[in-house]
Amino acid sequence: MTSTELTPADYPLSINRPELLHTPTGKALADITMDAVVSGEVTNEDLRVTPDTLVLQGRIAESVGRRQLGENCRRAAEMTAIPDDEVLAMYNALRPRASSAAQLEEIASRLENTFSAPTCAGLVREAAEVYAARNLLAEED
Amino acid sequence: MTAVAPRSGASVQTSKRTEILEARPVNLDGFVEEWPEKGLVAMESDYDPQPSVRVEDGRIVELDGRTRDQFDFMDTFIADHAIDVDTCEDAMATPSVEIARMLVDPRTSRADVVALGRGLTPAKILDVVKLMNVVEIMMGIQKTRSRRTPANQAHSTSAKDNPIQVAADAAEAAVRGFAELETTLGVVRYAPLVAIGLQVGGQVGRGGVLTQCALEEATELDLGMRGITAYAETISIYGTESVFVDGDDTPWSKAFLASAYASRGIKMRFTSGTGSEVQMGNAEGRSMLYLEIRCILMAKGAGVQGLQNGSISCIGVPGAVPGGIRAVAAENLVASWMDLECASGNDQSFSHSAMRRTSRLLPQMLPGTDFVCSGYSGVPNKDNMFAGSNLDTEDYDDWNVIQRDMQVDGGLRHVREDVILQVRNKAARAMQALFAELDLPAITDEEVEAATYADSSDDYPDRDALADLEGARSVMDRGITGLDLVKILERTGFGDVAENYLNVLRQRVSGDLLQTAAVLTGDFVPLAAINDANDYAGPGTGYRLSGERWEELKKLRHVTSAENPEEEVV
Repeated sequence: MTSTELTPADYPLSINRPELLHTPTGKALADITMDAVVSGEVTNEDLRVTPDTLVLQGRIAESVGRRQLGENCRRAAEMTAIPDDEVLAMYNALRPRASSAAQLEEIASRLENTFSAPTCAGLVREAAEVYAARNLLAEED
Repeated sequence: MTAVAPRSGASVQTSKRTEILEARPVNLDGFVEEWPEKGLVAMESDYDPQPSVRVEDGRIVELDGRTRDQFDFMDTFIADHAIDVDTCEDAMATPSVEIARMLVDPRTSRADVVALGRGLTPAKILDVVKLMNVVEIMMGIQKTRSRRTPANQAHSTSAKDNPIQVAADAAEAAVRGFAELETTLGVVRYAPLVAIGLQVGGQVGRGGVLTQCALEEATELDLGMRGITAYAETISIYGTESVFVDGDDTPWSKAFLASAYASRGIKMRFTSGTGSEVQMGNAEGRSMLYLEIRCILMAKGAGVQGLQNGSISCIGVPGAVPGGIRAVAAENLVASWMDLECASGNDQSFSHSAMRRTSRLLPQMLPGTDFVCSGYSGVPNKDNMFAGSNLDTEDYDDWNVIQRDMQVDGGLRHVREDVILQVRNKAARAMQALFAELDLPAITDEEVEAATYADSSDDYPDRDALADLEGARSVMDRGITGLDLVKILERTGFGDVAENYLNVLRQRVSGDLLQTAAVLTGDFVPLAAINDANDYAGPGTGYRLSGERWEELKKLRHVTSAENPEEEVV
């Protein structure tokens, strides 16, 4: 899957390459039917994007010259592993003067080690460096 | 903006003509002199920096006259994320007049001018667009907007936060052609019910319409993750570090949030606009457009697919200074040129003058943008909880006539009364069924009847707001999701609406709506700046209003039959 070559002609994946898509619980796109919803086979958990799909979309974006959108999709792929509440907590921790250098480093380590999210960790470390230079860190406890 | 008292003293005799002119609505608008030192200047200021860039060891070390040790966080983010380090020195060496001509000249492809743009700094981009008059700016927008087919967005809100009204007006807006619908609240705690109304009404009007509810970031994301809304837009960014921090964010927090949305398969765009920094009291002596270009590059650097810009809620500020509306068109051009989806404003009450409201609209409507309005008020302006829009429901027929006059696609169409009544009624009945199944305060038949024929919130029976708010809380507490709503609609006889809604939810599995400028057709085909990339290359190319769509736009409320002048065409 991760080596799939994609070109702009593969977009939209839902129509041109549905065989590449699956839900987080392993169902195919075609399995998301009204019958399956009514019977309870398809749950809210199925209606989420997988990291694999985000990587594919990122590759399509890059194939049309959108480097940064591709990077965003890669960060997003890493973030699929993080629970909703924690994603929001991390976002809040990145607000100005919300975190000390040590707290940001703790988040970066957690992203790297617990969630295998090195690109996101890189973004947090970069923020910590800039916040230090611009006086945007919280006071150390 | 409020007007100050006219200067004329009682003793000075004025002409009859002056009296007439004094009474014209345009003289209720506010106009002010430029004050460049404070940033109260549209786009031509001696206080803006000169373009420069220097690369050392694969890193930008100088940007627009500042060295890295002098960078604020906007400079750092733009230098490290937005600008293409490999091409910037060559791109910056291209004379500005050459680049401006490339933007206008149809023989230069969109791809070439977008590629060159990847290497430019904010001051250089400003230097380029300063050379362009408003017609040239429109030429540039026509070529650089990302999606080939233009579209439009509506607001559906209620002064009483009435979810039945929001649903009925969303249904009407959808059937009239809007691709996206946005709501917001007077009382924020009403959000779940109003967001449900928007989503359900939208899917009644036309399957595949995308909806959003503008709230503070955390709640907005929560509603999106539950599948009650389909996308988000009100993620504000600012052009100076001080104002960005006042907004309690940084480029890094917003970039993180952008990825958070994408990680849940939810479409998202940022919002910025000229005038916000000077309105928030810290423009740092830069022109409005220079600061907005920094926002555009920050958004690009974050990797978000698009931007809502065109001054937005600050339109009174550029609208008050000389050349301000030209600058607003220029910011839409720059967003498009930087290869972002552009939802191009025209979304806030702007002028007392109907003539001026129209002229403000043309630089986006004539060339076409990804969303001409962001949005158009799909309710009477007195019900518009975004403080009114430049266009509202009273303008529907005027809009349709302008499309027909100019042979321009502004995303809307005339719809027969019986169709409108039918979708409004169905939206209200679908809400009635949902509320009953969810044990929410009942929607009466009287309310359904009112929704069918209403204009504004005044035309509806009042609801028990306290009971509704309790119901809204319980929707959140019980963890109701979009899928729960789909199931209820299916079992209460609204199978087609349920199917439409489910099809919208399925999109997040494919991630197709994450691509630049993605919308859904009525057949649920994602249309983005990939499979519907703008291919304008001069006369006879690009999006042309023709065929079936043009036939549709020839229809108006009243068109006389050619064969029988006594009859009207239906």
